[in-house]
Amino acid sequence: MGDKCGAHTFPYFDISNSTATVEHEATTSKISEEIMFYCKSRGISQEDAVALIVNGYAKEVLNQLPMEFAVEAQKLLAISLEGSVG
Amino acid sequence: MLSIKNLRASIHGKEILKGINLEVKAGEVHAIMGPNGSGKSTLASVLAGKEGYDVTSGEVIYKGKNLFDYSPEDRAREGIFLAFQYPVEIPGVSTTNFLKTAINEKRKYLGQQPLSSVDFLKMLKAKAKFVELDTEMTSRAVNVGFSGGEKKRNEIFQLAMMNPDLSILDETDSGLDIDALRIVAEGVNKLKTKDNAFVIITHYQRLLNYIVPDYVHVLSDGQIVTSGGKELALKLEELGYDWVEDLADAK
Ligand SMILES: Nc1ncnc2c1ncn2[C@@H]1O[C@H](COP(=O)(O)OP(=O)(O)OP(=O)(O)O)[C@@H](O)[C@H]1O
Ligand SMILES: [Mg+2]
Repeated sequence: MGDKCGAHTFPYFDISNSTATVEHEATTSKISEEIMFYCKSRGISQEDAVALIVNGYAKEVLNQLPMEFAVEAQKLLAISLEGSVG
Repeated sequence: MLSIKNLRASIHGKEILKGINLEVKAGEVHAIMGPNGSGKSTLASVLAGKEGYDVTSGEVIYKGKNLFDYSPEDRAREGIFLAFQYPVEIPGVSTTNFLKTAINEKRKYLGQQPLSSVDFLKMLKAKAKFVELDTEMTSRAVNVGFSGGEKKRNEIFQLAMMNPDLSILDETDSGLDIDALRIVAEGVNKLKTKDNAFVIITHYQRLLNYIVPDYVHVLSDGQIVTSGGKELALKLEELGYDWVEDLADAK
């Protein structure tokens, strides 16, 4: 896949599946110890920090989707986050 | 409020803090100065609960309790705030959202109801005005793409929002232009009450022209080698740290 088609093909992925990848990626590699300590130093727990960051990351991705996909994906994301983060 | 007794801490087996003693009472402003690498940020990190440090001896009592019994997030909820020397960028998370989460977690911890969105926004606007921060900045991701000075100002803004009891400012004045320096200093002066305390780490006496400390301490090689009033900062500015290092060697 070239650079160009990456963004365009994204909406056709199985969104409910890719949410898990987004979350996985964000929790394991994107959230550095520095960021985590910064959040904690403001009184934000690990769980809430992860939720904030995963949501933020996902929103940035979703903002690049065409409207009809974004709305659908946002709903799915809300559901999956509800289930996974306290 | 804070009582540090013979605190020793190391990282990766290397001892950085070599017996710190410090008493901070409510209503006081303490300045900590000292050469690069003397352990100022390490002290701040250990107090805030950053992982990776081994406290090998000594104790820290905060509001009558053992500080090390609290998790980092509980220390924040108990009123400790660290303004970072190098504020961290959090992509995708707006300062507004970040602070709303922080404040409501603190409130929950204290058994208070969450702040309504209306009340939160009111407070956000008031505090932004207070530190002369453009509210547009608060809708941007935390510190992402901010200039060095903007990041520091954002730290003071967060401080004002969190309304802590013990604020530790780690070189918040470094990298600030004159106007920003004045705003930060005025911010601290306005936030200061008889019930809260500030520990201000700085390299520059010029900040202490604006925020007059009750005590100045000099940290050198992991120990407080001398303490005094605000005139000590002037002496340091004039003489540098050489004479202080001699004191450290003597210890
Ligand atoms: N992860 C680490 N591993 C090894 N040594 C470390 C680590 N972190 C800090 N140090 C060392 O601890 C010492 C104290 O560092 P610290 O950042 O506390 O100094 P500082 O007084 O804040 O200096 P500055 O004025 O430059 O900010 C330094 O010698 C530093 O190299
Ligand atoms: Mg430092």
